[in-house]
Amino acid sequence: MTMTSQPTWSPVALSNVIDPSTSTGALVDGAELVVWRDSSGKAHVWEDRCPHRGMRMSFGFVRGDHLACLYHGWQYDTAGQCRHIPAHPQLEVPQTIRMQTFAAAERNGIIWAGATADADPTLLPAEIAGLVPVRSLYADCTAAKALKGLAATPLPISADAPTVEAITENYISLTAGPIRLLVAIQALGKEKIALHLMANEGAPVAALARYAQALRLTLETAPAEAA
Amino acid sequence: MAEVAFVFSGDLAQASFRGFALHRAQRLDLRIDFGAASDRFFDVTVVGDEALIDMFEMACSLGPYDCIIHDVTRRDIASASTN
Repeated sequence: MTMTSQPTWSPVALSNVIDPSTSTGALVDGAELVVWRDSSGKAHVWEDRCPHRGMRMSFGFVRGDHLACLYHGWQYDTAGQCRHIPAHPQLEVPQTIRMQTFAAAERNGIIWAGATADADPTLLPAEIAGLVPVRSLYADCTAAKALKGLAATPLPISADAPTVEAITENYISLTAGPIRLLVAIQALGKEKIALHLMANEGAPVAALARYAQALRLTLETAPAEAA
Repeated sequence: MAEVAFVFSGDLAQASFRGFALHRAQRLDLRIDFGAASDRFFDVTVVGDEALIDMFEMACSLGPYDCIIHDVTRRDIASASTN
């Protein structure tokens, strides 16, 4: 499985919502992924499927620097290599039993998944200092419609449409007065997206969260041609 | 290393079962040799770690979605202790 139809790097979660030693599921253009942190806090992104019986690894448990499948407890190290099969504790697990892995990186408060295991880190968005998380939200619309809606909707404490800067094809900056809102757009599937929002320190986070909620209603109710 | 011959019998889609068995063997780092096959049975021999051969048997006894395995005959050609 590859995510070659997607940008080189796709946002999959706000960094602050995934604690060390936990895992969660994510979608990128229909591809099911597990996003997990080992006990040291390092993030990993793999195909969400145990090679053994196909169980979702996002249902699994983190054991130190291993992710263990919920079903039969097969454990995989941070490189995706199976290291332990509880039913055969003496078995030297062959190198062929391994997860499909994708590159993972954290930048600007967001966990990004590479389209391949060796995605080029120089293609990540440039670092922006002093950001705080706002929220993630999900909307039933296309990324193009979301971009138009974001560009047309005034930010809190501003009456005018924001200044829009495209940082990458799925990452934009909206500025209005003292507020700078960074929006990473995750394509989940056909007309399904997630928006991951970060803002500059001092920005009214609660108001921005309410703005995002209202924006979602607009995106999901407005006809496509009107957005 | 052990070597085991299997005959999986049931309602089989030959190409589907062959692909499934090959994929599982590769995943489990087993050498696999295909023997005779029909829509009623499939004959394969695998070589590798005994525990992994057991896993192969279990996987193939479930089979791909379009095959129904009714019976599995297993014949140990060489066991780990004799190699």
